[in-house]
Amino acid sequence: MSTPTAEETGTGESAVDRSSNSYFGEVWVNFKRWNRKAVRNPFVLVVSLVQPVIFLVLFTQVFGGVAGDALSRSGAGVSYETYLVPAIAVQVAIAAAATSGVGLVNDIENGMFEKVLVSPMSRSAVFLGKTAAELLRIAVQVGIILGLGVVLGAEVGTGLLGALGVVAVGVVFSLWFIGFSNSLAVLTKDQESTIIGANLLQFPLLFLSSAFLPLEALPGWIRTVARFNPVTYGVDAARSLMLNADAASVFSASGFGAVWNAVLPALGVLLALDLLFGGIAVAMIRRASSSKVQ
Amino acid sequence: MTEYAIDADGIELTYSDGTKAVRGIDLQVPRGEFYAFLGPNGAGKTTTIKTLATLLAPTGGEIRVNGFDAVSGSRRVRESIGYMAQETSVDEELTARENIRFACESYGVPRGERAERIDELLDLVDLADVADKRAGGFSGGMKKRLDAATALVHRPPLVFLDEPTTGLDPKARNRLWDYFRTINDAGTTIFLTTQYLEEADQLCERIGVILDGEIVASGAPAELKQRVGGEILDVDLADGDSQQAAEIARRAGLFEPGATVEVTDSGLTVTSQRARERGTDLLVELRDAGIPVTGFNVRAPTLDDVFLAITGEHVETGPSAGEATEELEVGR
Repeated sequence: MSTPTAEETGTGESAVDRSSNSYFGEVWVNFKRWNRKAVRNPFVLVVSLVQPVIFLVLFTQVFGGVAGDALSRSGAGVSYETYLVPAIAVQVAIAAAATSGVGLVNDIENGMFEKVLVSPMSRSAVFLGKTAAELLRIAVQVGIILGLGVVLGAEVGTGLLGALGVVAVGVVFSLWFIGFSNSLAVLTKDQESTIIGANLLQFPLLFLSSAFLPLEALPGWIRTVARFNPVTYGVDAARSLMLNADAASVFSASGFGAVWNAVLPALGVLLALDLLFGGIAVAMIRRASSSKVQ
Repeated sequence: MTEYAIDADGIELTYSDGTKAVRGIDLQVPRGEFYAFLGPNGAGKTTTIKTLATLLAPTGGEIRVNGFDAVSGSRRVRESIGYMAQETSVDEELTARENIRFACESYGVPRGERAERIDELLDLVDLADVADKRAGGFSGGMKKRLDAATALVHRPPLVFLDEPTTGLDPKARNRLWDYFRTINDAGTTIFLTTQYLEEADQLCERIGVILDGEIVASGAPAELKQRVGGEILDVDLADGDSQQAAEIARRAGLFEPGATVEVTDSGLTVTSQRARERGTDLLVELRDAGIPVTGFNVRAPTLDDVFLAITGEHVETGPSAGEATEELEVGR
């Protein structure tokens, strides 16, 4: 339509009782809402922590001895606790990221999605605020796992800064899975399908990677799959920070120092994946929230 | 300020599969009016209201809402309207107060006015005593009231209500009607869709009857009722006698030539200018013919009769507001 805008015709309503929100203000409003929901619903916080915690405790107790042998054969010379914590940190990032799509489906199901769309808030601010709240939650959860790992005997070789680095890796890693989970949510518009879809992927992703054992200790086909598995890159980056050494199992850079040689390429791969999956999710959410009829 | 809250010309909405949900609707709703779209399920009510509220872009026609173009000025339209969807939309993990506060923040209600506005709205919809309880524990009626409150935070001059009372019990429905009357009395234009004839009749100044994406009739409730052509005589009969009774009723001389006689599930319905005057004559003739009458009633036409007269189809009527059904109140 090419009708003149209200500003042009001067017919606009000026008596509407509203002060304008800034873009950041709109992000903040949504950030607060999703944080409040996360605190209100400890189910979300706890459930995505329970399975990783069980893994952390059981794996170190049951496989600690056997895995320790494999580790010493590969020359790493670290305790299995220290070796495993980065993997569990990534697992928690996956589990927490999977709830992002569930939140979106909930909003679609209970009408809040439409309610937000009919409000004057910028749509990108709405989803930025939601994602920011989820990233904060993931950072907290990865932090909890790190703390628990230290209690169980793991050591962070790079100290407090390295620990913050592991949290950052967890956050960067989670973004592609948040994108995946939200795409699944828009596609299925169904809570159960979104949960099942993300959970089905979680275990193959974890086991077909460098998460639980060095790649050299695994069969050839798993090694091949692991090279193309995002979890390998997340775990390698976090593990290099934990061990204060180059723990890259696929490729390392050179000239940045042992830790950065492993962390930088891995982060590069993860950021590329974030852009890809984030882009897909943004396009799908944009389509779902568009007023264009389909 | 423009004269019309809604000024639309030839709204069309065709889905990509070719389904024409809205076929050329013209609509002028003056400021302050209480207007209703009345129609059965699937008539295009929700599609039209979503188009007016900028949730769907029309595939044809022009829409101005509060003076703004609904497509090019969608953000200005959104700032100036309240919208209540057909499905109750509240965040069940937040309290009533938090739901309203989120709406205040979404619409940029000035910080200093929020607390007062929230209390005022909680009072309006009678939720002040459960303000700090989570909405998840509310009854359907309470959630609807909360939903209505969140649509009013920015004091919009125009409010869209999409089947606001569908699925509510009569008590909850009457309460909502009171709130809608209150905000309309305060000058707010209301555009409501409903499949309950009684609702449109009770609340609205003007009604558009919509069927298959087109307005098939419009006017004040009284004007529409005049179209029916008289009063309605309902006669309840025992099974199997209806056809014979209809023949008796249609017999020349009993009712005027324009009168209609319809066989219904429970007996007969006669629409006639002389329904009241000649009704007893019909009952006597039926008795003489050996047809037992189990009940009868002469009444003014309802909008269902209007709809039948216009379209030849019945529409669903809502549960009677007189039935006292207890609304489930929150216990948590």
